[in-house]
Amino acid sequence: MYQYTDFDRHMVRARAAQFRNQLRRHLDGELPDEDFRALRLQNGWYVQRHAPMLRVAVPYGELSSRQLHQLARIAREFDRDFGHFTTRQNLQYNWIPLARAAEVMDLLAEVDMHGIQTSGNCIRNITSDALAGIAPDEVVDPRPYCEILRQWSTLHPEFAFLPRKFKIAVTGAREDRAAIGWHDIGLQLLKSTDGEVGFKVLVGGGMGRTPIIGSVIGEFVPWQQILVYIEAIVRVYNRLGRRDNLYKARIKILVKAEGRKFVDAVNAEFRHIVQHDRDGAAHIIPQSELDRVSAHFQLPPGIDLRQTATAPQPPAELPVAYTRWLQRNVHAHKLPTYRAVTLSLKRAGSAPGDASSDQMDRAAELATRFSQGELRVTHDQNLLLPWVHESELHALWLAAREAGFATPNIGLLTDMIACPGGDFCALANARSIPIAAAITERFEDLDRLYDIGDIDLHLSGCINSCGHHHSGHIGVLGVDKDGAEWYQVTVAGSDGSSLSGPATPGRAIGPSFAAEEVPDVIEALIDTYRRERQPGEPFIDTSRRLGTAPFRAAADAVRRATACAAA
Amino acid sequence: MRFIDARNDRWHRVEGEDGPIAHPDPQPERLLTLEQWHAVRDSWPHGLPTGVLLPNTLDVDTLAEDLNGPNARLALVALQFPNWTDGRAYSQARLARVRHGFDGELRAVGEVLVDMLPLLQRTGFDAVQLRRDQSVEAAVRALGFFPGHYQGDVQQPRPAFARDVAAEAAAPCDGGELFAGQGI
Repeated sequence: MYQYTDFDRHMVRARAAQFRNQLRRHLDGELPDEDFRALRLQNGWYVQRHAPMLRVAVPYGELSSRQLHQLARIAREFDRDFGHFTTRQNLQYNWIPLARAAEVMDLLAEVDMHGIQTSGNCIRNITSDALAGIAPDEVVDPRPYCEILRQWSTLHPEFAFLPRKFKIAVTGAREDRAAIGWHDIGLQLLKSTDGEVGFKVLVGGGMGRTPIIGSVIGEFVPWQQILVYIEAIVRVYNRLGRRDNLYKARIKILVKAEGRKFVDAVNAEFRHIVQHDRDGAAHIIPQSELDRVSAHFQLPPGIDLRQTATAPQPPAELPVAYTRWLQRNVHAHKLPTYRAVTLSLKRAGSAPGDASSDQMDRAAELATRFSQGELRVTHDQNLLLPWVHESELHALWLAAREAGFATPNIGLLTDMIACPGGDFCALANARSIPIAAAITERFEDLDRLYDIGDIDLHLSGCINSCGHHHSGHIGVLGVDKDGAEWYQVTVAGSDGSSLSGPATPGRAIGPSFAAEEVPDVIEALIDTYRRERQPGEPFIDTSRRLGTAPFRAAADAVRRATACAAA
Repeated sequence: MRFIDARNDRWHRVEGEDGPIAHPDPQPERLLTLEQWHAVRDSWPHGLPTGVLLPNTLDVDTLAEDLNGPNARLALVALQFPNWTDGRAYSQARLARVRHGFDGELRAVGEVLVDMLPLLQRTGFDAVQLRRDQSVEAAVRALGFFPGHYQGDVQQPRPAFARDVAAEAAAPCDGGELFAGQGI
């Protein structure tokens, strides 16, 4: 993974010093709340229900054991002993007092981490495929490009105060595991027939109140030009994006409103920069820079490429829990003798994506012992060990089970995505954690989960869509009606993965439900699927084939509190 | 970076009781609204030091012919921050410098806060009129935290990958006492 240079380290420390100064001025009364707000946001500090929330950037999801140990320490010493991994591959703390913010930033800086641009109307932390650099279907390793983009977007002086937040996702594989169609800019690395590397560029995707899938603006932008091309997109957005209405300020609204004119404006801006602007070609990426950054993403030195097993084989008689774990939590790797292994953060008694300080330490230890000291945070809020030798799978399983990470449910119903919801988030209309807990409890039985098979269940506590409800095969959205919590349910949404099909928002199955009805509704949808499915057909395909009607009827049949409203 | 004190600014707007005077008389060091400038541009004497206040809703291209070349007419362009989190003027400033070759004064006006200074400087502003409650000392300090940046900008066009950043990182910079040399 990328190792910070002295310059990188200097940048983070300088940013921490700058923030310390701003915080001091704020606490001294020199910098009022309304002016401090945008500054703290751009350093990852929100003000939430109980305390400020700190969002720590995990660039494109890559994390070292050392960093995770430090995150555990911060959770233990400054928070209430836990953290929450997000769909954007970041980590959030919920209970750190603002007065201790500067201390925490210094501790993060010790391990080359920070909260820069994890919030605010700027270019946010870049996200990528959790299997970047190790996926068998990878065309080009996206990580060097992610890192170059990270550096370019960090403290960009022109684009720090855009109309609204701006998210970029990058994939280099055939399958889109980074939901690039759902981002302000989605990038897919391609290789042309003559071996040249370039990007397919999507623009104007996003969730929220108006879910829109990004449209292709560049079929093949040569990699050398990608920074300039993105500069052109973001500049057009900065000039023309709406600032009069928060809900219409994302680039997706501009792209949709302007259509072809937007595309023409970007292409004209791009040509202007490279052909006419003073120093306009300065950000054309030279081969030497790609080489320098790529050198950080070579195979870790401890990788053993020999084909022979080097550790004891698992017992001949395999326990069913182990074979299930092999089936669900272990993934193919570009190196034939290696595997990627998901540590499930989805288990009864704990909110999706949450990890205690001890669990973070345990995960870091597992990474040190089994995965070259590296981990990934996945888009669906789990941790992943990218470098596990096949001969060590059994030993890892035993250790992961011991640590509570071996629930063999990856890709199944209980491996759901959920935001922290109304229990923590000041924006939320409704709680998501109790709903997630009730569903997890309802679907505890593994045989049943396996029978249901692959399914994406996504829960958001409000229309900001942090829980990606739009892209769930089943989506649940918390809404507020007269001060009460209600939940709108959608089916047949897709994030763009192979299983889910082309990215698309799910469709609502009628008026919203009361909180206590939601587990019954989910069960009714699942029962409908099991009754109607064809052999081997996953939920998403059945829901797409049948449309919403049968699901709506089944859900309406279990309404109690909302029966009158629905009638 | 120059800090403009409104009390002794040599540039003056041309306003009557009902707002900007529609057709101002030619005088040096007048800061005109865009409407005023359009009204007088054709009859305005060349060579008279003139400034224009450009709203952030318009492209800098609006002034293209007046910014650069043998027929450059403007010595000052004031760009506006109606509120400090509206970042359009950063793009305007950058383009005025790198696209239109403007080498006169680029001044930030409106809700200009000390914490904007690094961004202003890097996008090509060389003068600011701070919001009334802001401290010049804090603004100067705000310029001193970073020894260099990843991406190129108007001040330093070359990105980090084209520079010797090891040498930059070795330079002392702790955000404390290092605003000497930033110059006001």
